[in-house]
Amino acid sequence: MKHLVFRLYGPLAAWGEIAVGESRHSAVYPSKSALLGLLAAALGIRRDEEEQQAALAAGYLFAVKVLRTGSLLRDYHTTQVPDSAGKVVYRTRREELIRGKARLGTILSSREYRCDSMALVAVRANANAPFTLETIREKLLKPAFLLYLGRKSCPLAAPLDPVVSDWDSFGQALDEAELKALMVEPDDEQRWIPVEYQTRYYWEGEDSSLKAQQVLTRHDQPFSRRRWQFSQRAENLCIGKGEG
Amino acid sequence: MSRFIQLHLLTSYPPANLNRDDLGRPKTAKMGGVDRLRVSSQSLKRAWRTSDLFGKTVKNGLGTRTKEMGRKVYERLVEKGIGHKDALSWAGAIAGVFGKLKKLTDKEKTALKKLATEERREKELVEVEIEQLAFFDLEEEQAVLDLTNSIAERKEGPQPEELNLLRQKMTSVDIALFGRMLASSPAFNVEAACQVAHAISVHPIVIEDDYFTAVDDLNDGSEDAGAAHIGETGFAAGLFYSYICINRDLLAENLGGDEDLAQRAIAALTEAAVKVPPNGKQNSFASRAYASYVLAEKGEQQPRSLSVAFLKPIDNRTLYRDDQDFGTAAVEALEAHRQNMNKVYGDCADELYAINALKGDGAMAELLDFVTC
Repeated sequence: MKHLVFRLYGPLAAWGEIAVGESRHSAVYPSKSALLGLLAAALGIRRDEEEQQAALAAGYLFAVKVLRTGSLLRDYHTTQVPDSAGKVVYRTRREELIRGKARLGTILSSREYRCDSMALVAVRANANAPFTLETIREKLLKPAFLLYLGRKSCPLAAPLDPVVSDWDSFGQALDEAELKALMVEPDDEQRWIPVEYQTRYYWEGEDSSLKAQQVLTRHDQPFSRRRWQFSQRAENLCIGKGEG
Repeated sequence: MSRFIQLHLLTSYPPANLNRDDLGRPKTAKMGGVDRLRVSSQSLKRAWRTSDLFGKTVKNGLGTRTKEMGRKVYERLVEKGIGHKDALSWAGAIAGVFGKLKKLTDKEKTALKKLATEERREKELVEVEIEQLAFFDLEEEQAVLDLTNSIAERKEGPQPEELNLLRQKMTSVDIALFGRMLASSPAFNVEAACQVAHAISVHPIVIEDDYFTAVDDLNDGSEDAGAAHIGETGFAAGLFYSYICINRDLLAENLGGDEDLAQRAIAALTEAAVKVPPNGKQNSFASRAYASYVLAEKGEQQPRSLSVAFLKPIDNRTLYRDDQDFGTAAVEALEAHRQNMNKVYGDCADELYAINALKGDGAMAELLDFVTC
């Protein structure tokens, strides 16, 4: 069975969870919506292209191997904005801050990031997939839009290094895909961004080599991109490949 | 033309507190498991986009700085036969687009009533003056002139949409680069064409505390010899790696296909990123700095930052051993990593240009030429 495998690494990443208001939490690994967004950006599908977004969301299954969950960073974030009383129109950011000086208020939020997290992603195409895995690979190498790890301020710090090949299962694809090194000395990588002792696998659907220890319910299957609605899906988890 | 323009900057700040958390201490992050100093992406963007330099470069540096545009509009309207009252109000509406207008107090207005008509009208013109100097580029001046002529002809004040058009260009550059998200009306959302990473120090840091006291100069110490104020502030010095990536295609599209404006926007952003520091605590630390090293890359390939060069932190031990300074060591690490990455993954960009102020290599003007063509 064909799989597309690629790596996600950057010094900061933010994998948004359900968030309302000022707390913007991050999960330790990318949600399905984040991965679909990444592929869409590479392919040049815009956020408001509802049909293409829906086709993409229905077309692929994902599995993630978390090599490093990284450490948590909570960022205290303030935004100054003048209230919109009166008929004043602020045309630029500079104008908001200078002309709106007397009316400036602050919006606070607390944003979580993961420092030094790293994950491998495997993608499998369904029968109704709008693009072949090879096409997606090409586009990941030369994307249409900027790619990022959950927030725009979190760029990739390494090539995705996408590979398409035949593997029996998600488990096999994620373990056997040979990714090129980030640092020249292999020891360096183990010293500064060590792979965690117990790697976690998350995947959708049945898999012949991975045994689920837990089934999670996640609300990250895009339902309507325009209305920002997500539906539930079941996701399997095993830690250390279920070897205990 | 290449789609992506990537900028890698190394900027060294002396002791400072450029970007603070909720406790007022400098922000940090871990990289390679080690504490680093951090300046958030939004802090950098705010400093750049609100800087004078950014505005001037976008406007090509050609134009007029004036408080008196309103007066010019008024004079032209009167010349064309518009009455004093209308001319005053219309000129005020136009000038008000470019800055806050001066206002006469009620007392001053009462005093004006006693004056002769001619003299009173002259004094009333103060109300169409802008409080601070505003910068008008050539096209804006022309747009103001056109609007003035058109309202004089139709003898009717300017419409709100016409006023909005006067500054559309500046608005569009700001928003085209950094995006806009309005949850209330997504139709007006604009996807940012530029990505700015958090700046992270290339070396480990320990945040130090400055305990300070302020003495009351008029207190002679006869009754109370203590300080009038005590306080504490966290600070640290850092050599930062920052990374910016611009999607030139999207930028031009966001600007309605205006290639020339897109070039100026890229130049403005590049120059601001090199020269404009974050605003935090500049009065206490005066930590303004220009980037010491800038590497610009162009290409279609998947953009990537070079932060891995500093996963292994640059620290005193390596520096002593190799008899080097932080700046040179950081430039070498960055360059070695870029070359290694190309060897392993194939070329990650098609063209590059670098300036190095530590050695005196390259020139800002050439860097701007490189990123804009």
